[in-house]
Amino acid sequence: MDELDLLKKDWKKQNANYPELSYNDIYKMIHKKSSSIVKWILIICIIELLFWSLLNLAIPESYMEIYDKFNLKTFLYITQGAHYLIVIGFIYLFYKNYKSICVIDSTSRLMQKIINTRKTVNYYVYYNLALYIVISVVINMIMFSNPDIMLEALMPKNTSIEGDTFLTIMLITQIVTLFVIIGLLWLYYRIIYGILLRKLSKNYTELETLE
Amino acid sequence: MNKELEHKFISEFQQHQNIIHKVCRIYTNNQDAHNDLFQEITIQLWKAYPKFRGDSKLSTWMYRIGLNTAITLYRKSTRTVKTQDFDTVLHKIQSSEYDNTEEEQLKLMYKAIHQLSDIDKGLIFLYLEDKNYKEISETLGISEVNARVKMNRIKTRLKTILNP
Repeated sequence: MDELDLLKKDWKKQNANYPELSYNDIYKMIHKKSSSIVKWILIICIIELLFWSLLNLAIPESYMEIYDKFNLKTFLYITQGAHYLIVIGFIYLFYKNYKSICVIDSTSRLMQKIINTRKTVNYYVYYNLALYIVISVVINMIMFSNPDIMLEALMPKNTSIEGDTFLTIMLITQIVTLFVIIGLLWLYYRIIYGILLRKLSKNYTELETLE
Repeated sequence: MNKELEHKFISEFQQHQNIIHKVCRIYTNNQDAHNDLFQEITIQLWKAYPKFRGDSKLSTWMYRIGLNTAITLYRKSTRTVKTQDFDTVLHKIQSSEYDNTEEEQLKLMYKAIHQLSDIDKGLIFLYLEDKNYKEISETLGISEVNARVKMNRIKTRLKTILNP
């Protein structure tokens, strides 16, 4: 007898071996919380959307005064306005993708939709990073090309450090901060989505390579 | 979600709960993991139930959600758990019906299935449930030809494991 036939025969026999759940067991079960990957992605994505939005609001007003001296205030307000419009766009896309996730779809379509939802938030994060880098570079370029105003605005009074040394320290600090932040974010995404999406991406790739 | 719907769902679910047990049987190899996956699938079925219109059979619909949950939505890796005595337990019950070689073969067979990838497990599950290639391809979202090719590969693989 063929092994697979044997297996099939055994498979058919096992029905009787399973415990039958009572009405109450099932009732209790459907009132428990799901721990599906979609739910986790949703929670993490909402935290990310909030985090980046709040980060923008958290910049203190005193910062603006410094930028005012460089005539950068208008530039910052315009970028901020545009930024909020883009954020709303992202939130809309995220919501639309999330809503389209449907457990009755075929396996490959379901995976595709989950990955798309995740991608929207990835793009949002890339966008924020790019914005952060571009604005930092632009502002620093303007500030460092006006060293006099910069020294006046930022250099602490009663210090023995020379103006040039101060500027060098400032520049190095800015560059180091930029790299540290990017590094930390990279690490965060590797860890969070590495854990969460490893299984999904592996299975998705398997279906994709099949087609 | 109202009480009436809840009642309807639970009654219908009760009649078909074996389908879910069988999905868990393929994807897990110990009782805890089995119960955990069973619960997640049941929750997913209930969440999707209001949208179930009855244009397909309830069982077909359950196969789909069951597999989707096991392959995609279920967060915990279904493969990391070390092979344990679950298979043996199940077979002890039936041991009188088989001679030793058959029992041994089946044990090896289930062990081999547990080593397959999530997608392959889905294919072998649908095969064991006597689903045709059309249904298999629709459930997994791959073409019928690819479903056939992949299934033949799995069968060959299982055979080689048994007859090295």
